[in-house]
Amino acid sequence: MGSLARAYGRPLAAVIVGIAVAWVLVLILVPLGAMVEQSLWWRESKGDVSLTIDRLYNDISLMELDRQSETDPAKKAILDQSVSEKQAEIATLEAQEKNPPKSYGIANFTRMSGLHFYIFVRTIFYALLVTALALVVCYPVAYVVALASGPRKAIILMVALIVPYAINELLRVYAWLMILDYRGVINGVLQWMGFINLDAREWIPFLENPSAVFLAMIYTYVLFMVFPMVNTLETLDRNQIEAARDLGASTLRIHRRVIIPHAKPGIAVGCIMTFMLSAGSYSVPAIMTRGQGGDWFSQLVYRQFYEANNWNMGSAYAVSLLVVCTAFILLMMRLFGVGLRDIAK
Amino acid sequence: MSTATESAGARLVLNIYIGLFVLYLFLPLAVMSAAAFNSFDYPSVTQWQGFTLKWFVALAHDQRLLQGLVNSVLVALGVIVVSIPAGLSGALILTRLGQRSGTMLYSVLVSPVLTPGIILGISSLIFWREFGVPGGLFVAVMAQSSFIASYAMLLFLARLQRQDRTLEEAALDLGASHTLVFRRITLPFLAPTCFTAAVVAFLQSFENYNTTVFAIGGEWTLVTEIASRLRFGLSPVINVVGVIFVALTLVAAITYVVLKQKPKT
Repeated sequence: MGSLARAYGRPLAAVIVGIAVAWVLVLILVPLGAMVEQSLWWRESKGDVSLTIDRLYNDISLMELDRQSETDPAKKAILDQSVSEKQAEIATLEAQEKNPPKSYGIANFTRMSGLHFYIFVRTIFYALLVTALALVVCYPVAYVVALASGPRKAIILMVALIVPYAINELLRVYAWLMILDYRGVINGVLQWMGFINLDAREWIPFLENPSAVFLAMIYTYVLFMVFPMVNTLETLDRNQIEAARDLGASTLRIHRRVIIPHAKPGIAVGCIMTFMLSAGSYSVPAIMTRGQGGDWFSQLVYRQFYEANNWNMGSAYAVSLLVVCTAFILLMMRLFGVGLRDIAK
Repeated sequence: MSTATESAGARLVLNIYIGLFVLYLFLPLAVMSAAAFNSFDYPSVTQWQGFTLKWFVALAHDQRLLQGLVNSVLVALGVIVVSIPAGLSGALILTRLGQRSGTMLYSVLVSPVLTPGIILGISSLIFWREFGVPGGLFVAVMAQSSFIASYAMLLFLARLQRQDRTLEEAALDLGASHTLVFRRITLPFLAPTCFTAAVVAFLQSFENYNTTVFAIGGEWTLVTEIASRLRFGLSPVINVVGVIFVALTLVAAITYVVLKQKPKT
């Protein structure tokens, strides 16, 4: 902090530090803490409370009916008193109903149903699969863009990759929706070839298959693997490859011993981004399944918030997802021996 | 110019592979774009019923999509206002911190980039509800800024690494005030990055869906509106939005290539 004040003066340094602290607290740490806190408590909703309240209301209206027909002032006073007693009781019960006591614990995590847990595991599994597939598909692409083509071709290739990357993720998913829909491109082609008849509602329901989500997801996130790899591979001195070849190394060996070790940080970043994006993706499954299937974990989270209105449970789901993603990042960093500074280049 | 590290056969295989990959990337977008001009009222390229521009007209009259566009721009501007100062402050501090405490702060400031978008949306939604602010455009700005500020910070950090600090020190020695130095030396040096970061922030915000959908509550941006429409079935109006996006991106990319190649000729 001292050097900051020396460089920019005390008032300015204070403003800079103030903004950064506000960023850390208001945008990052406290919201995260609020989410974790939310996941750790629940309210015991007792159905019988509202039943009791209903009964009390009934009693009161009965007594008020009695009171209207009552002529004896003494009895009237007694009725008045019991009415006000019951009203007081209702008030406390209603406060309780509106604001049931909080209980803290990890029940939100352990209460996850078997089906939801299965979807959770399947989401993680599919995300890993997307990551692995993207890595295999993208490595040759990154290699060509970074090393195996002249500068002119490299620029053109780079642009060819950036253009689809820059198109909104939603529209990229939409393109696949069009292709795989009941009256989509593939079914259209099949009809044209005479295999099916769309007017008779004969079509192949690609969208009802979970692999439709998988297909669109690879398409949507594959490029997040390419660019980190290209970035690291571009810094590789091509002479190293020449030297290895001159010394008699085979192509496979060059890749294994020279190129892949150099690309390590890029591979790690690519894997982390691809995994994180696909495990946490809401857009792809929500659009591909039209919000009907519960295929992806993020959809369960969304429903907890916006349909079941159970924010505590939803937070617990979100925290679980965050824990898995963090574990994956740490694992990749350990596995590839890269630090956070290499990651965010 | 290209390096001759591959045999001709290997190069051919690689070229075919890249060609297929690029085709894979572009074919769906081409299908989507083409269907925008089909007068059939279900977006399709296989059932072609004649060229039309009526879907463009329909888009121009679509109040909800237009309002979504306005909201998207508002949110993006808000994100710029929040994330550029935040990113800049973070970068200025990090360049002056020691290795150890620097790494600590760095980890915190970069963490939003590595966090799934829905988590950022959810945590902001919960946090602001504590203050009685329901999900909406404001919460969307806050949720998006948390990670877009990190991107801005990374851009500023890269720029600050190339800064010649002796300039600032010399100006101070010559009696300039700190504010003057900041305004006349530091900020002008960072100005190009400010511009880049603002553009990046705008695009990131405009495109964002996963974070926004949780934070937006009952309001909508262009992207969340498109997503909720897709639930009820496909409409060529969405294809028109797609065509506009593709066209804008292509124009930007071609301009970039032309500018990049000019100095060499």
